[in-house]
Order: sequence, then structure tokens, then C-alpha cells
Amino acid sequence: MELKWMECRVLSIQSHVVRGYVGNKSATFPLQVLGFEVDSINSVQFSNHTGYAHWKGQVLTAEELNVLYEGIKLNNVNHYDYVLTGYSRDTSFLEMVVDIVQELKKANSKLVYVCDPVMGDHGAMYVPENLLPVYRDKVVPVADILTPNQFEAELLTGRKINTEEDAIEVMDLLHQMGPETVVLTSSNLPSKHGDQFLVALGSQKIGKIHSQKIRMEIPKVDAVFVGTGDLFAAMLLAWTHHHPKDLKTACEKTVSVMHHVIKRTISYANEMAGPGKRPSPAQLELRMVQSKADIENPAIAVEAMVL
Amino acid sequence: MECRVLSIQSHVVRGYVGNKSASFPLQVLGFEVDSINSVQFSNHTGYSHWKGQVLTADELHVLYEGIKLNNVHHYDYVLTGYTRDTSFLEMVVDIVQELKRANPNLVYVCDPVLGDHGSMYVPQNLHPVYKNKVVPVADIITPNQFEAELLTGKNISTEKDAVEVMDLLHAMGPDTVVITSSDLPSRLGDRFLVSLGSQRSVLPDGSRTTQRVRIEVPKVDAVFVGTGDLFAAMLLAWTHHYPNDLKTACEKTFSVMHHVIQRTISYAHELAGPGRRPSPPQLELRMVQSKADIEDPAIVMEATVIS
Repeated sequence: MELKWMECRVLSIQSHVVRGYVGNKSATFPLQVLGFEVDSINSVQFSNHTGYAHWKGQVLTAEELNVLYEGIKLNNVNHYDYVLTGYSRDTSFLEMVVDIVQELKKANSKLVYVCDPVMGDHGAMYVPENLLPVYRDKVVPVADILTPNQFEAELLTGRKINTEEDAIEVMDLLHQMGPETVVLTSSNLPSKHGDQFLVALGSQKIGKIHSQKIRMEIPKVDAVFVGTGDLFAAMLLAWTHHHPKDLKTACEKTVSVMHHVIKRTISYANEMAGPGKRPSPAQLELRMVQSKADIENPAIAVEAMVL
Repeated sequence: MECRVLSIQSHVVRGYVGNKSASFPLQVLGFEVDSINSVQFSNHTGYSHWKGQVLTADELHVLYEGIKLNNVHHYDYVLTGYTRDTSFLEMVVDIVQELKRANPNLVYVCDPVLGDHGSMYVPQNLHPVYKNKVVPVADIITPNQFEAELLTGKNISTEKDAVEVMDLLHAMGPDTVVITSSDLPSRLGDRFLVSLGSQRSVLPDGSRTTQRVRIEVPKVDAVFVGTGDLFAAMLLAWTHHYPNDLKTACEKTFSVMHHVIQRTISYAHELAGPGRRPSPPQLELRMVQSKADIEDPAIVMEATVIS
């Protein structure tokens, strides 16, 4: 029996790096491997991510973004099932993204906008402050799936998270702002499994009033990875596509893929660095192409609990 | 397999040409692909409309500098294709030469895109740059008949002519030459075109040998864009796995092309409907859908070893 191929087109507007895996480099290959058509607009082209000792390259202006979108539109191929965005440093660029999303939603009312509202972590912003009101007032309201970390969720809602209850209230506030699916990708909440684990939470609206809420205890890794958030958002897009009403399964698959890629990466990085030495940013680049089989069919390594 | 390719080609938001055509298949085969996007366009220039931005030779250099400053300018392969700008091409040559100093085993795979069917479709002043600067540093080149004739100043009317032209090209630099298509009459009739390949190598005893092959390739009644880019990328991959066996490398490469093209033409006709010619968007290569064929191409044509 010939299975009809899944026809699903994603517009991903993210950074491009010549070397390594962040932004579009992190998102595109895994989505393509899972059979998604990925159209990609590169918001910047840098030699590598900014965690290296050096980086060089060029940025795309909001106007240039509009020109590229115009090209797609003139050919009448501005039809997408998903839009995916991540790290941005420019308010006018972000506002152009919102315009594009709104227009694409007019062309396809079922379009799902997956947004990683990248602003900062561990209590500090690492993008310009003036992005916060744009995310809060313009971007999040048109987003359908949101992947903030704890800090970003607190910033967007103006509420602090000290307990699981707080987190649930914050996710409900985020639902009210727009997105039906919210995943708190990491938090400082204490894990049941001890301090080698962090807690992630998710919430998906079911109808107008109810929601499915889940919790995951995720093993911490002793290294700084770049591009993992971009991979996470891309894989959450893929697995919520396959499990649209089952956030538990979508999150288990997404977090499990992350786990396999990260483990492979840290092994290799430590091997490259040598005993007793901390791996460099270059050595810590995600082992993306080597993880193809895990991306295609992730063995579940972390279970989610329904709250 | 640890193998890193630097691919300097176009990027299109939608569709499969340049880096979009080359990256996914190489990554699927386990190659690390660093990519410098020479342009970012909405789509290829065969559509009714296209819009976007080009990278200058200076901006290319800046990106390369970023890689070099981090001391990660170590590549096993460089891959280039369509270019319209002589200064850009000259910068590429400088980069290749520097990368070869860093790794003398580096293999430069060059598609010398100049034109087809008797006419040039790039500015004329690229011809001397390819002839005098690019081809001399290339290791594998994939000209069509017109480009092979332009580069050597010799016309091809018979297989003997083609063999002489390939020998002339070897003398200019590359040890591996594949004439990707020609007007030579095929033994299998006029539904087939003839491709030829030639690989020069040095035997353990120091003597030189040349393996020459001929492939009869089924013609397809459609204009595809991006197939040359896919061809060069796959020839890179399969000569990597069969470095001394051009026959097998070509069989695999031409077979992948066949599978991708067949899948694409089927789908395009389905979309266009009966009796209608498919449009450029409909004819975009079915790349992600061809993953299994890319990973393990069933051999559908044989290369004949010729004297």
C-alpha cells in the first residue's frame, strides 16, 4: 500500500550560520528528515554562533525580509501550514514577522505559528529590552504554540514562578494572551528526582475552558549548548503535528530527541577535548547529522506526567 | 565518517537549487555541511517573479574570516556551482587555495556553470576566470558539453572528441571530469542522452591510468532547476565512497538523479492535472520525499567502461 506523503510546509524565519547548528541550521535538517517541506528565510548570515571567540557576518533588515516575502507572494506560493521563529534582536524585524504571519493566516486560517519568544534566561535579558513589549503585545497574541523558559514566561506575564501552582497560573495567563499550547522549556522548580534534574511543564487548551497539563523531569547536562532551544521548537512543531491533541506524547518525543542529540554531542565533545578539559564551543556543536535515526524515530527517554 | 564540506552556493527561501539542493542530501548521507549562501532569493529565477539579495565578494571574505579567526577553516571538500560575479568567483579561488594549504587533501568539486545548448547564461567575463583560475584548482568538475567545449576551445562531435576534451580538462587541473550531458547519439535511441566521465589516477608503481565511463541517461520531458546542483553534491558523496571507481560513483549519482526526477515529474503532473504542463513551483524537486533513495540509491543505469 502506497502511503500518501504528508504535505506540510513550514516557513522558518531564523538565523543562518555557516558552521554549526543554531537557528535555521538547527531547525531545517530535522524537520526535512521528518518529511516537512521547509522554506527558510535567513534573518542573518554569520560565520558561526556568537558563543565562539569570534563571529562575523551580515544581518537582514525588516525591509529585506519584506522583499523576500513579496517574492513568494508574487508567485502566489504564500501558503504555509506552519511558521516558526526564534531568536531576533530587532523590533522592526519582529514587527514585519507579525505582519507576515497575519497575512499568511488570512491565506490559511489553519496556520499554526510556533514561536520561541527568545529574550533571556537565568534572570537576565540577552536581547534589547524594547523587544519585550513587541513580543507581549504583538507576537504572542498571534502565536499558537509558545516555548518560553521560566524567565521569558515571567517577563511576558509579569508574574513570578516559585511553585508549580504559579507555573500553571502563568501558562493559563499565556493561553489568554493567545497561544493554545505553551511549553515552559525549563524552570528552577525543584525536581522530584533531585538537583540533577530540571522541571519542564506544558499546557494545551482543550476547548474553551479545559486544558491538559503535563510535567517532565529532565536530566541536566553539565555544558552550555547553543541551538538546543531552536531544535526543541522545531521538534515540538513536528510532534504536535503528529499528536495534535496529545501534548504528553508530543513532549515526550520532543524532549527525548533533545536527550539523544545532547548525549551524543556531549560524548563527542568530551572525546574531542580530551580528559580533564572543558570542550570549546566549536566542539560542542550539536551532532545533528549523526543523530538522524533518533530524529526520525526517537526512543522515549523521558516520560511526561499528566497533572 | 567525519567529513566536512564547505558549500558556497545560492540560497532560495522556497525550492531546491544551490545550497538548498546540495545540503539536505549531503547531510542525509552523513556529511557535515558548512554553507555560505552567495545569494538569498525568494525562489529560483525560472518562476515568473523572484526577489532577494546578493552577497558581495567582500561579504564572502568577511564570513570566511570569521571561520578562520576561530581556527575552524578545515575542510575535506569545497563545493561550488552557479555564480554570476567574477570578483566573487575570484574570492572563492583565494579561499580554496588557502583551505588547500590548511589541508592538502582537500577536494574541490566545481560545477563550472556557464551555459547550455550552445549559449552562455552567465556574463561572458566569467569564462576566462573559470578557465584560467577556477578549473586549475578544481579536483572534480561537472561541465555539460557546452561548458566542456568552452573551457577547452574544442568541439565535441564524436565520443573520441569527448575523450580528448576530457583529457584536455585533466591537463588543466581536475583528475575527475564528468560531462553531465551531451548531444552525442545514444545507443539506446533518441529518448536517451549520453554522459561521459574520466578519472585520472596514479597507480602504486607511479604510472598513470585513466578510467573512462559512458552512461546512457533517460531523457525527461521537462525543465528542472537544481538538478545540476544535486548532481555535483551527489558526485561528491559517491566519489568520496568510491574514490578509485568512477563507474560505481557515476552509477549511484545518476541513479539518485533518476529517482528524484521520476518522483518529481509524477508529482508535478498530478498537481498540474491531465494535459497541462506543470509550472516551476510544481516542478520543484521532491527532495525530502526522496530521502530513502538518496541514502541508498537502487542502481537503475549501468556505466560502461570505455577505452
